Amino acid sequence: MKPFLLKMTTGAIAILIAGGCAARMSVSSHVDRNLDFSQYRTFDWGPADALPTGDPRLDRDPDFNDHIQGAVERGLAARGLELASGRADLLIHYHAVISDRVDVNRFDRGFGYCGAADCPPQPIRYEAGTLVLDLIDSRTNKLVWRGWAQNRVEDMLQNKDTMVKVIDQAVEEMLRQLPRMRRVPA
Amino acid sequence: MAPLTPRRAVVSLIAAGSLWLTASCATLTVNSYAARGSDFRHYRTYNWSPPDTRPTGDPRLDNNRFFDERVRSRVEKELERRGFTKTPPQQADVLVHYHANVSQEIDIRDLDSSRSYCADYDCRPFVYDKGTLFVDLVEPRTNRLIWRGWAEGSVDGVIDNQDWMESRIDEAVAKLLARLPGRL
Repeated sequence: MKPFLLKMTTGAIAILIAGGCAARMSVSSHVDRNLDFSQYRTFDWGPADALPTGDPRLDRDPDFNDHIQGAVERGLAARGLELASGRADLLIHYHAVISDRVDVNRFDRGFGYCGAADCPPQPIRYEAGTLVLDLIDSRTNKLVWRGWAQNRVEDMLQNKDTMVKVIDQAVEEMLRQLPRMRRVPA
Repeated sequence: MAPLTPRRAVVSLIAAGSLWLTASCATLTVNSYAARGSDFRHYRTYNWSPPDTRPTGDPRLDNNRFFDERVRSRVEKELERRGFTKTPPQQADVLVHYHANVSQEIDIRDLDSSRSYCADYDCRPFVYDKGTLFVDLVEPRTNRLIWRGWAEGSVDGVIDNQDWMESRIDEAVAKLLARLPGRL
């Protein structure tokens, strides 16, 4: 069992390193390191800020916003925070941005797909999505945590099932980076 | 190409990582303009002008308190090290303003295979995110820009790592404010 697992893991890592075409989500966060996050008990959705604007394709998609809000509410509840309207400790805010990006083909000629002369590097244009999730302390009105997930979004924009999966993965991986909250889920 | 064994993968990861680290450290460049005829000996006090609301081009940095506070505290530290004192904005000799920008760049210098910078199979443009930090000093009496310094370099992987971002901010601010004209 153990060697098998090890093999699977190294295999998965090798695929991650080698595979340029596999969708790779990048997730990270910034945090107020001097803050005790166990003081927070409740959260609510904060007012949308003016800047920066999201992408209209996502802003006008009620499913997209429903899924994000649902995923965030579930994720925070699992970490011991209660949704409270009115006087919540934390205000949640998110926005999604889509931007055009360029990459250069990752299929190295060394793999033998084509010779050097007839195979110039091909730039590839793609759409990268960033989902930013902010936690704001409602007393100080200061940002105390920001998480984000970045991914290619072409598939997600064309397929609702993919979108739901990507959102769930993005929100769950982001929230995993939150500092320890009040109660550790069983 | 030989099959990608785990060992090979680790070796190439380490190699790529160290290359990338040296590249990103080496690429921080700084420059500055100073308004001609400005006598920097007159400037002793400073404060901040109203904050920038223009987007940075990177959603991770827009309205990012952690980035903003680090830049401000480092700029204040460097200015005070150079003899500036923070006073209320109405009394300040100079008002400071900063702006950060991130944009994707494509570098094709490495494509010159005649100089054999790259092996045939790995000759491709280098795509990276370029970050630029501008610091402006404005004389409020005349509303004139008297000095602008900027630092630019690759920020690939930097914003995703809070510690790394902070050390890059420190380095950029120190290097660009080192170009301020002396007051001796």
